[in-house]
Amino acid sequence: MSDGVPMPRPFEAALAELSERHRDEVLTAFAALEHAAEPVHEAQLLALRDATLRRSLQTLLRLLGRTLVPAGTNLWTSGYRDDVTTALTGEGWHPLPVADRAVLVLVLVHSVAIPRSQGALAGDSWTSAHPTSVEELTRYSLLPRTEVRAALARLRAAGLVQLVIERGRGPGATYVPGPQLHRLTPAARRRLQEELVLAAGPDTPLAAAIRARRTRHEEES
Amino acid sequence: MSVSPTALLWARIRAAGPLRVPASTTTPDGVLRLAEPGSEEVWLLPLVPEPAGPGVLGELELAGPAVEQPNDTARVLAACLRCCWRSADGSPWPGSAAPWSAVTAVFRSLTDREPGAFHRASLAAVRRLHNAGWVLWDEPAATVRLGPRVAAWSAADLSVLRELWRRTPPPPPLPAEDSPPAEEGS
Repeated sequence: MSDGVPMPRPFEAALAELSERHRDEVLTAFAALEHAAEPVHEAQLLALRDATLRRSLQTLLRLLGRTLVPAGTNLWTSGYRDDVTTALTGEGWHPLPVADRAVLVLVLVHSVAIPRSQGALAGDSWTSAHPTSVEELTRYSLLPRTEVRAALARLRAAGLVQLVIERGRGPGATYVPGPQLHRLTPAARRRLQEELVLAAGPDTPLAAAIRARRTRHEEES
Repeated sequence: MSVSPTALLWARIRAAGPLRVPASTTTPDGVLRLAEPGSEEVWLLPLVPEPAGPGVLGELELAGPAVEQPNDTARVLAACLRCCWRSADGSPWPGSAAPWSAVTAVFRSLTDREPGAFHRASLAAVRRLHNAGWVLWDEPAATVRLGPRVAAWSAADLSVLRELWRRTPPPPPLPAEDSPPAEEGS
């Protein structure tokens, strides 16, 4: 975009009532949230610390299908609005090829779901330091090794998985979930947890409770 | 409550990169429409004001998404620019298609590798650039074009890139049978 071009409509609409200085603060915070690899600390950005400016920032994000996501004490990032995710996936649309999704789910199962079920991982975050080996990914995905490797390259580029560099460890690469997993909203984290329970143990009492709660929710809405 | 078309479109582009849609598709404000040469389709890109763009990360000392093999990736992009941006006085979009052999010839002049490593590095870099929308790589036809993301470069970016273009060695002259497909103009 060339200099001197008026602010695009969604930005103008969200920031119209702010002073020029406050507009700049909100735009800088928007850039940090949307483009930084990791969550940002609110001490660094006035528009995250100040409640009024944070509301303007949230208005801007929401106009563009995004929302503020708390990612730890005084840390923030941005993610997709839950209703936007529902609308897009409800149409059957998905940006990731099926092989990439299969590999990502295996990393999440091995690095998060299993350690959490063993009590080795607290909280509801989908980031983890527990590595998943490529050998496990190849064995359980039932995909050819070359396809797993290509999927991992795309997932790495998207920040959805991260290669673990460990000195002194034997041969074979290992992976953990990537920084983009910080961007899941609390509702998205819960949905992911529930989907894994439904897939791994469809006949368990927990799965029955999830189905009952979803049916109740659909009837109420 | 229904979701606005603006929110849906921005989310879709954020997730999947620039979208190629029929030209008849109506688009909300704040989205750049780029005609795809020789077709009835357009590319859609979000219009982000510069103070809200990724360039701000450097000022804040924040890291952006990691790019694998950043030097090779940048050099292959520079080689694509040198070959596809025929007149650096104009806009790089849509540019023209260039044979992959011309791009690799320019990349070879910017790097020093044994043939096997060179081949792997150039293929990995062009795949990365294609997946991110910076170039359009037609693997079966062995041609490369600049991707729609280059149309979002600011005037300041283009001024730096023109200097880079002038300093990058040009591709070797093409044999007649290797001439690139239809010149698209700018």
